[in-house]
Amino acid sequence: MKLLGIMLPLLVSLSLLSGCGEKEKFIVYGSPENEKEVEAILKEQKFVDKTTVIQYDNSMLVAVQIKPWDKWKKTKLEKKLQKKFDEKYPNKDVFVSADYKIFYEANKIKREQVEDNKLKDKIKKLKNLAKEET
Amino acid sequence: MEKEQYQQLEQNVTPKPPYFKNVAKAFLVGGLICTIGQAVSLFYMIFFDFTEATVGNPTVATLIFFAMILTGFGLYKKIGQFAGAGSAVPVTGFGNAVVSAAIEYRSEGLVLGVGGNIFKLAGSVVLFGVVSAFFIALIKFILVTIGVVSW
Repeated sequence: MKLLGIMLPLLVSLSLLSGCGEKEKFIVYGSPENEKEVEAILKEQKFVDKTTVIQYDNSMLVAVQIKPWDKWKKTKLEKKLQKKFDEKYPNKDVFVSADYKIFYEANKIKREQVEDNKLKDKIKKLKNLAKEET
Repeated sequence: MEKEQYQQLEQNVTPKPPYFKNVAKAFLVGGLICTIGQAVSLFYMIFFDFTEATVGNPTVATLIFFAMILTGFGLYKKIGQFAGAGSAVPVTGFGNAVVSAAIEYRSEGLVLGVGGNIFKLAGSVVLFGVVSAFFIALIKFILVTIGVVSW
């Protein structure tokens, strides 16, 4: 019972805290070209919760966070989005990821306003990271 | 006293186990362990180069390390008494089973004591895990070869 007495207030405070996390849900960093279009594509998908898009030169990194119940089909939805972007921008190098790590790093790039020459290396590193399997 | 009579008597005397309370305790403690695990995996993702796909291994190792320390200090059995399955089903329960066996047989020596008995409790988990993984992989391989599903 003692444990219960410690845990209950903790759980309640945790659930209260999570309510304060409402922030911008759609973020674009880099060149603002066709920002509206990308936003429209992502908003169209009901399973997308938050997104951060990074654009540089001719490529695009799309980091999405999927809503909780849809996370069961994460890889499938990721592939679906990738296909959609590939169709829409056939001459652009688009990389879609639903991984939390990629999303976190993308937000960090936005927050720290990373320079263009470093951006390229960083995104290359992220892409390699996302492909790791074990 | 007849056999049936005795059974009747025994059933009358035995107190009813508080199922609902046990389930609630197991749910809360198991959930707490899993929350800690989630926190550990977030820690590895934010401060190290792990993705959601690769973060599982270090998280499991860390949780087993926690369970090892708790077992060594004799705290895990208290959690186990309180929560039952809530503390046995997560990977920490497996770590506890290995470490407690190692501690128990330490007095019989390192090779025949610890080495021979460390998997006394957890060995069946390892064995059946490996065997069932082998058969599942075999079934999937056959299905892929026929062309029913893809990898």
